[in-house]
Amino acid sequence: MKIDIKNLSHTYDVEVLSDINFSLEDYTSVAIIGVSGSGKSTLIRMMSGLEKPTKGQISINGSDVNEPDYKKSVGFVFQNHNLFPHLTLKKNITLVLEKTRGYSKEEADKIAEKNLALLHLGDQGDKLPKNVSGGQAQRASIARALSIDPDVIFLDEPTSSLDPILTHDVLHAVEELRDIGKHFIFITHQISFVKDFANYIIFMHEGKIVEHGKPEILDNPQHDSFKHFMKKVR
Amino acid sequence: MNKTVSYIFAIMTVIAFALAVIFLQKDAFTLSSFTDYKTLIQLGFINTILVSIYSLLGSLVFGFIFYLLSISKINYLEALDDVFTEIIYGTPLLVLIVVMAFVIGPAFNTYNRNLMGIFAIIIYMTPYMKNVYKSAFSSISEEQYMAMDLFGFTPFQRYRYIIIPQVIRILMPPMMNNFSLIIKGSALLNVLAYTELYYAIRVATSKTFAFVEGYILMWVLYLIITIPLSQFTKYVERKWSL
Repeated sequence: MKIDIKNLSHTYDVEVLSDINFSLEDYTSVAIIGVSGSGKSTLIRMMSGLEKPTKGQISINGSDVNEPDYKKSVGFVFQNHNLFPHLTLKKNITLVLEKTRGYSKEEADKIAEKNLALLHLGDQGDKLPKNVSGGQAQRASIARALSIDPDVIFLDEPTSSLDPILTHDVLHAVEELRDIGKHFIFITHQISFVKDFANYIIFMHEGKIVEHGKPEILDNPQHDSFKHFMKKVR
Repeated sequence: MNKTVSYIFAIMTVIAFALAVIFLQKDAFTLSSFTDYKTLIQLGFINTILVSIYSLLGSLVFGFIFYLLSISKINYLEALDDVFTEIIYGTPLLVLIVVMAFVIGPAFNTYNRNLMGIFAIIIYMTPYMKNVYKSAFSSISEEQYMAMDLFGFTPFQRYRYIIIPQVIRILMPPMMNNFSLIIKGSALLNVLAYTELYYAIRVATSKTFAFVEGYILMWVLYLIITIPLSQFTKYVERKWSL
């Protein structure tokens, strides 16, 4: 995957991202780490086209994230599963496929079933989100993201609201997706998962990318804020 | 004790209390004197239901309009909603009915007091219905809107498949509670000599002089409307909760 970020700044009430310049090529799985409030979520939302930056440009795999068609090529998994609560797990997927991707009902059903099975939810498709565990709902939301056949899947702290067992459950399911040929950009506080799954790491602090590199940088942080962070999460 | 049995005992307790009261009060208790007024009471019963349904529908419409005002970006409209809400919250329904039928109606050349009375109930319920809409719409999270945006749903599709189905589910139980308030509130239309249930029975008792029986009958008839309604609401709440 190719990431290109130029002069990116973003301000809500205060500046959350300040003048980020960054480019990367040839990595399939990128982790963004850092303390809460360091701008990770904002960055991932900008990269996925969910929010527009105050200033600067981002392109992913050669397409500008502000182009209208870009969003349709993106899978996004939110912190809290964010399934539509009135629809069953399966309907959450088929509605998207039928209404926004033009699939027939039969095709949509097939794709939904395939992806639910991939996330070990083959027998849960007819349940409403409120009737499954948080981990199952989050896995269903990953299945929904996969169903639209995106180039890149963004995961914004997908396990932040889950207990340790469900967290393992979800992250294990993501690890199994390693070989499906998708690119991942994700935020997590689970350092062991970062080590297992990421092949590139970005560390953010106070709205800037402070350090980045291959997973080895976790063992030898240079910047004080990164050292401090690694001491806390170990 | 299992739940059903508990309920049977609870209902029996209430009936026993009611019977005790009937026996303890000094006068003889008989409903037979009301048979002559059966048609009148039936009319009152039906009118109470009809008026309540009209008021419900009316307040759903007005509530939605005021919901739109309350989220308006135009400060004046938002302020208008605020002032209106504050006034209605502080106004007794009885006062509103009288003012509407005898002051505001005639000022606009409308002398149909019953109509103005119903309109008063609608206006009275409007802020409450507005709140129902408010909580229903605000319960759809910002992230859901983000997801809709990301997947590329058109505005029509968003409302048709995602927003409205959720809003209706969330809206139903509090709306039904308001409906129950409307039914009870409609009794105040008797001040306009409108033949709803309360008025019908008052007219009957003024002839039969069976005041105690009249009020008991009235009470039971209101419960016949409101209890199934509240049971239905609970059912909807269970069945449809998100």
